[in-house]
Amino acid sequence: MSEIETDTRDALLARVRASLSRKAGDELTEPVPEVDDRLARLADHDDDLIAMFEQRAQEVGMQVYRCTAEQAPLRIAGAVAMLGVRKAVVDREIAQGLIDIDAVLTQSGVALIDWSGVGSDQGFGPQYDADLGVTGVAAALAETGTLVIHSRPSSSRGLSLVPHNHLAVVRASEILPDMLDYWQSLAGISGKDLPSSQVFITGPSKTADIEGVLIQGVHGPGQVVIVLIENA
Amino acid sequence: MPTTDSTTSHDILFPALPYSVHQRAGHAVRDVQLQQFIERATVTKDDGRKLVLEQTFGDRADELRTLAGRIKQHALDNLDHYLEQFIDRATQAGTQVHFAKDDRQANAIAMEIARSIDAKLCVKSKSMVTEETHLLPALEGIGCETIETDLGEFILQLDGDAPSHIVTPMIHKDRAAVARAFERELGAAYTEDPKELTQIARDYLRDKYRRADLGISGGNFLVAETGGVVICTNEGNGRFCTSAPRVHIAFVGIEKIVPRQEDLGVLLKLLARSATAQPLTCYTHIMTGPRRAAEPDGPEQMHVILVDNGRAEVLREETREMLRCIRCGACLNACPVYRKVGGHSYGSVYSGPIGAILTPALKGLGNYPDLADASSLCGACYEACPVKIDIPKHLIRTRQAMVNAGHTKPADRLFMRLWARSLRYGWSYWFGGWFQRKLFRMKAKKTLPTGTGPYADRGWLSKAPGPVAGWTSQRDLPTPTSKSFRHWWDHEHAPSIPSKAAEDE
Repeated sequence: MSEIETDTRDALLARVRASLSRKAGDELTEPVPEVDDRLARLADHDDDLIAMFEQRAQEVGMQVYRCTAEQAPLRIAGAVAMLGVRKAVVDREIAQGLIDIDAVLTQSGVALIDWSGVGSDQGFGPQYDADLGVTGVAAALAETGTLVIHSRPSSSRGLSLVPHNHLAVVRASEILPDMLDYWQSLAGISGKDLPSSQVFITGPSKTADIEGVLIQGVHGPGQVVIVLIENA
Repeated sequence: MPTTDSTTSHDILFPALPYSVHQRAGHAVRDVQLQQFIERATVTKDDGRKLVLEQTFGDRADELRTLAGRIKQHALDNLDHYLEQFIDRATQAGTQVHFAKDDRQANAIAMEIARSIDAKLCVKSKSMVTEETHLLPALEGIGCETIETDLGEFILQLDGDAPSHIVTPMIHKDRAAVARAFERELGAAYTEDPKELTQIARDYLRDKYRRADLGISGGNFLVAETGGVVICTNEGNGRFCTSAPRVHIAFVGIEKIVPRQEDLGVLLKLLARSATAQPLTCYTHIMTGPRRAAEPDGPEQMHVILVDNGRAEVLREETREMLRCIRCGACLNACPVYRKVGGHSYGSVYSGPIGAILTPALKGLGNYPDLADASSLCGACYEACPVKIDIPKHLIRTRQAMVNAGHTKPADRLFMRLWARSLRYGWSYWFGGWFQRKLFRMKAKKTLPTGTGPYADRGWLSKAPGPVAGWTSQRDLPTPTSKSFRHWWDHEHAPSIPSKAAEDE
């Protein structure tokens, strides 16, 4: 750094070790405390995960439509009509082999916006014109009604953030009971093997900064609609 | 507001040292409107926290808090080990890790990164550490316009004001203040409708996200085993700031490390419930490195600045536990003193009970000589803390350290010495009690309305003499009864407690 000398890794570690009375390479003082399932777990595989996910997602202000794969196109069309949306940005690999999402949206009179140029035009460029973002999920958590979304080649980080409405397609098989199960599914993966972004979405964007009045849709979506496919 | 117009946001959080709480606290308790705002913001959240923890975890809640505290304590006890692990894994993920010993170094690193990409516009999400380092003026100083994007912080920035709560920074302002700020600074049409005000901010800030070349965030947790940075937000601005601009910098205190991902399964379950009674914040964002080659977006560079700024010193055994804090704000909401004096009275970035112990530890006892006195030691903070920091213990320890270091007033020392002496002998204790009862009763004006029986002759003391005067500056003190407790016990209670000798028979 040009103007001011900054700290180094070694200097920081030396100060930390001095305060801890430890030396480089010292063993852990004790094994890391075990995460006790009995205390922390709020859902397990015996629970009715679909019902629990539906209820918890509704409690945090998201709308859930349960349906079969066959009913899904109709459900999505219904949701799109209810939201009154005109332009959508869509994850390219959503619900592959189950639903032709592009066709469903087009038939509902929704124009699809190509967001693929987004990498060069920083700040999510064309997505600001869309009023709907459609995504799948990497997982869903029954415990809290949470959608887990990863950054992926087929999906922009903006789809679940920029448009005012977010529609997520969730298969029942993607629902995990508890957050603890999600961490287990990632056990041993670190660094570059993880996606650059994992987002847990638990409700629409909210604020209560002005006099404690709850407002939805501050910076992110004000409406989150989940189409939950029970037989997939 | 306890502050005058000429006070800048800098002065509120960085007052002249040594700082005494009395002046600002005195203003705050007389400000009726401020009292209403704080009451509304804190009581609801405190009730919500208790209810949601009880409903979710039942009688396991206490044990879960113990576990959360143990996990954080373990990470601190072995911080060197986990810092090394985090640095290695984050670097493997492509994150550039920097080290800052103090506020100036942290800002200098950020300025250097901003210069290297010729950043003209920076969007920033809420971060206590950047408040600590006072980053904004530093970036503005090199020509990089920097916008706070958290709605509350955005409004405070427009008004040149400072946050007064860790989680909900503008609880000391009302909608009219927001309306005036938006009209004056943004040229918006005057409206007091919170929904319309939010929409104005949304539109204004979206334009900034589109054009920003630099995004700055804090970090709630650093995961050692993966090299991930976790931020918890509700509005979504944090996701914009960390995803839209070309470069993302996270300012994170070195104490934010947790060993494993599964530890988040304990701490995240307590954080939002303790802060705002939500199961999780709307967005829990885990970032592990910059955009991958195949990913369509995300920042091209991700930087983490590991900020010490006094923490390595606080890491010493007697104060280490304070660094468990996960900044949920539950102790502020629960604290009867915070509820009266508000966040600005603490004269520092961290307010409330945790601020009263952390600020003197980080910034020097002599600089905040009476901050640890800003507590009634009722223990509500300890009950509320999701990681079970024994705040009352540290308040007392801090007070002891103040006394030992001679940071007390001569009058206080004299008073304490006289008090200690009067308690030493039976006769002086009796005399002291008799004198105090006589004096207070003589000075009392009004009669208590509800008194009945032989002790109905009590009154209200609205201006107590001597060292008790401060206590009655805000409330009336009921006068003592005319006879002492011992007199009542000996003459009228007529107890029939069996003596030890009688039991043995």
